[in-house]
Amino acid sequence: MAPSAPSITSNMSARAITPRPSSYRHKSEKRGMTYNIMLVGQSGLGRRTFLNTLCEREVIPATEAPNPDTANVADPMRFDTYEVNLEEDGTRISLSVIDAAGFGDGLDNTSCFKQLQDYIEAQFDEVLVEESRIKRNRKYRDHRLHVLIYFIPPTGHSLRELDIELIRRLGEYVNIIPVIGRADSLTVDELQTFKHSVMRDIDYYKLPVYNFCWDESDTEALKDNREVMDFIPFSVVTCDEVLGNDYDLVRVRRYPWGTIEIDDDSQCDFVLLRYILLNSHIADLINYTEDVLYENYRTKKLEVGGFGEGEGDDEDGEGDDDEPSTSARKQE
Amino acid sequence: MFSVKLNVVDTPGFGDYVDNNDCWLPVVDFIENQYEQYLRQEQQPVRKGVVDMRVHACLYFIRPNGHTLKPLDVRAMKAIGARVNLIPIIAKADTLSPAALRQFKKRVMDVIDAQSIRIYQPPVDSEDEHTTDRNKGIISAMPFAIIGSDREVKTEDGRHVKGRLYPWGVAEVENDQHCDFKKLRSLLIRTHMLDLISTTEEVHYDKYRTTQMKTRKFGEPKLKKNDNKKFREEEEALRARFTEKVKLEENRFRQWEQRLIAERDRLNKDLEQEHNLVKQLESEIEAIVNSGSPNGKFFRK
Repeated sequence: MAPSAPSITSNMSARAITPRPSSYRHKSEKRGMTYNIMLVGQSGLGRRTFLNTLCEREVIPATEAPNPDTANVADPMRFDTYEVNLEEDGTRISLSVIDAAGFGDGLDNTSCFKQLQDYIEAQFDEVLVEESRIKRNRKYRDHRLHVLIYFIPPTGHSLRELDIELIRRLGEYVNIIPVIGRADSLTVDELQTFKHSVMRDIDYYKLPVYNFCWDESDTEALKDNREVMDFIPFSVVTCDEVLGNDYDLVRVRRYPWGTIEIDDDSQCDFVLLRYILLNSHIADLINYTEDVLYENYRTKKLEVGGFGEGEGDDEDGEGDDDEPSTSARKQE
Repeated sequence: MFSVKLNVVDTPGFGDYVDNNDCWLPVVDFIENQYEQYLRQEQQPVRKGVVDMRVHACLYFIRPNGHTLKPLDVRAMKAIGARVNLIPIIAKADTLSPAALRQFKKRVMDVIDAQSIRIYQPPVDSEDEHTTDRNKGIISAMPFAIIGSDREVKTEDGRHVKGRLYPWGVAEVENDQHCDFKKLRSLLIRTHMLDLISTTEEVHYDKYRTTQMKTRKFGEPKLKKNDNKKFREEEEALRARFTEKVKLEENRFRQWEQRLIAERDRLNKDLEQEHNLVKQLESEIEAIVNSGSPNGKFFRK
């Protein structure tokens, strides 16, 4: 039932993205590669259905009916974590998905950015502490965010203030991949125009979205990566039903005027996005997070606070545990 | 057959900010301003050429997120619905499947009831049974789900219709199976147009007029409260600049004052020195006079 490797070009000859070998980082890969994804976007853009469609099973159950009496007050932001074990092309992935529910749903959303930033920094801080320990925990699970998928509403015009601010503030902490949620509300022409305006806004405001071509030394992949970047933002349509018999299952979304096939890459970019996330670029995303984003954060943190440095004698393991976290707290 | 002068007012930018507090205030102010203009014209001695720009219907476009109304929608609709005929609409209805659309409509109506939002209720009963049935159909379809398009496209079976062309089919605007556009159009400019105009005059405008008459005398202009938040920020900035300038000037004056005081002290000191000199000379003269010298009698006066 797993989709086969899709082609990139929409009209001409089908050409597959050259699959890159996924790298095994640690010996403890038996339980799978640690991979953390965060989904951010306003409610109603299909975040939860996206996850269910990505993992090909219902990971997040449908929400209950909201209470009409409390409709005038927005729910505060919360971070719901879901753990899924996947197997892609022989590689086991221990996927942890964090759904940032409540983002942008309130009347005044200026505090949402700080909450997200604090969350991401907290994961970095945990790793910083763990690295400084004398006795490291073998079973430690890395919670650093490797990719943040941001759902843009399909307005058809351009990016809004909320979108621009989010990417601007969080781009230095996490790889951001913008996608268009509910892309089935845009016709073919509107989708092209919208993608162009979003890219134009990203260039104009110099927004730090994930640059697929960051590794310039990998020349053979560079060409593929440039083509992939032409698809940004990826249009996503999520699956409502599964039709067909046991051998020929088709994931669809049905309307009175027609039926969308999710796995057809001429109709939306879902399959391409899935392949990028779980197959071809998983190593790149993880590497960039660990080698660049985390290192930048670490440097900034240590320069500012003398975090864990100049401790003198580190014979006492317990002193080491307390000191870094308290000095980290002092920074706030 | 009669002609209608249709005026449409669009509000781009509504709810597009990160902080959307009070973003419905400009809308409410606009509606009340139109009532105010009409009120003034009514109070004139000559009332012949009255221009009526009052808003007879307000279409509120709800984003089809599939769950429920957002707090912004609730607050805005409450404020607007109390002043004008509010007709809620589900925009871009072609993103929801029919089952999801039905569920969303029900949820929206539940919230409207629970939060006591006042929306336009068209009259149902009439003498003609056909009309009553049609009215019932219209009311049960509220809020209206709309697909918007002004382009003509060709469907698979060759018809030319107004609609949106997708790779998987054509969503038709004027097809009742696809959306409620025809019902809304009928309500707005055919069946209920007169009712919308008369309820605006008899209910909403009258309410405004009564409340204004209670607090104002005949012919007095309306008090303006410029409470726009964006202006408030500018006002704060201006005020800060003003206080800074005042502080600078005060400093300058203080320094000048100090210089003047120093100058005065210096002059006083000089004066005192001169005074001492004079005193000294005087005492010398006294001494010479008192010593009885032969020249003394010349000094005595």
